[in-house]
Amino acid sequence: MKKIIFLTLLGFSISSLFADDFSDFNEEFKTKKQKDIFDPLSGYNKAMTSFNDFVIINAVNPVADGYSYILPEPMRVGVSNFFTNLAFPIRFVNNILQLKLKEASVELASFTVNTIWGIGGILTPAQDELKLQRYDEDFGQTLGHYGVGSGFHIVLPFLGPSNLRDMISIVPDSYIGATSTTGQSDIGYKIPNNQAQSFGISTYNRVNKVSLNKGQYESIKNDAIQLYPFLRDAYEQRRKKQIKE
Amino acid sequence: MNRFLKILVVALLTFNIANALQKENIKETMEKKVDKAIALLKDENMPKEQRAKELFRLFDEIFDYELMAKISLGKSAWVSATKQQQERYLNLFEKRLKDSYLDKLELYNNQDINIVDLVPYKNTRLQLQTKIVAKDETYKVNYNFYNKNNNWLIYDVDLLGVSIIKTHKSQFEGILKNKTFDELLKLLEEKNIIDD
Repeated sequence: MKKIIFLTLLGFSISSLFADDFSDFNEEFKTKKQKDIFDPLSGYNKAMTSFNDFVIINAVNPVADGYSYILPEPMRVGVSNFFTNLAFPIRFVNNILQLKLKEASVELASFTVNTIWGIGGILTPAQDELKLQRYDEDFGQTLGHYGVGSGFHIVLPFLGPSNLRDMISIVPDSYIGATSTTGQSDIGYKIPNNQAQSFGISTYNRVNKVSLNKGQYESIKNDAIQLYPFLRDAYEQRRKKQIKE
Repeated sequence: MNRFLKILVVALLTFNIANALQKENIKETMEKKVDKAIALLKDENMPKEQRAKELFRLFDEIFDYELMAKISLGKSAWVSATKQQQERYLNLFEKRLKDSYLDKLELYNNQDINIVDLVPYKNTRLQLQTKIVAKDETYKVNYNFYNKNNNWLIYDVDLLGVSIIKTHKSQFEGILKNKTFDELLKLLEEKNIIDD
């Protein structure tokens, strides 16, 4: 009897040292077979990825660096907060469309507090003092919420990785958003007067964001052995997570 | 013979139990490790190699690099590789993972990193939810733990929903579709050289 117990314990200990079986993780990490990934625009996508990479390294990053040098960080954080606050209509409407009423009301509260007590959204007392959470929703997530699949992958110039569903969703979000000219005749709170101004505002927002996250793009890029498949996969994983939330 | 067996069993069991991370200690241990890591990253005076050594020491005992490497490669690719290839792969993968993780920590070494909660995950596992409060956004970083004989080890990290294991698995599958295992090893090696 004792011998049996000893041998069992021995076997248990030894097996734990030499465990080579990782099949219980297979379920969690099941990936689509490579040949099943429908990527009709892969040639174009790869080229656009290289183009965007070139623009980031050679245009956006240097401009962001120069910009950081001129404008101190707290002010750049203020700018970022201001733009985040401006995007309120998009978050609010999409939360409502997904019937996330509690989240929509928290967003409304955030917007009100930050606009009034945060000097037009530059400061964020709603997050800092009241600890209100942000519920970042967009129309792509709304469609995803109701079961619309992502469609094939498309890399957009300047904007980066996207997919058919999310690309189409840019239109309704632009319509409600304050920083684009889409739907100017219907919506009164539009800021830019023309396309050029709209482009200028988005670019400024982008440069400001990059200036606050120096090194982030390079760090992500380093994780890739092949940049395009990596970004495509990471983008889809991220969107899935965002839709679930 | 019996005596020898007895001693062997006790030794093996003790070896397994010593330094084992218990469920109750995960939150506290991770918090301490992350704080120490940030302090090390902010220490300008320490020479880079020593700093790297200290940092790896912190995380080597809770990251199950070998398992992560194997899952990322997938069973069929792993079993069809030679012992030599497997060893080389494990080395290269571990190095990449460490470099990648520390690179991220370094980006955010001036920000608050908060442990949010430890929640059950997929029946038998646990997920430690943390967040990095960066300048313009809050990033959610989750560490997935599994139980290896009463020792909880990390088998995946997900940053904003992007799982590093899934990402590697996807990349490796794509590469192995057109290239041999040795060519994959070469790619990993080249990347490691570039990043140094």
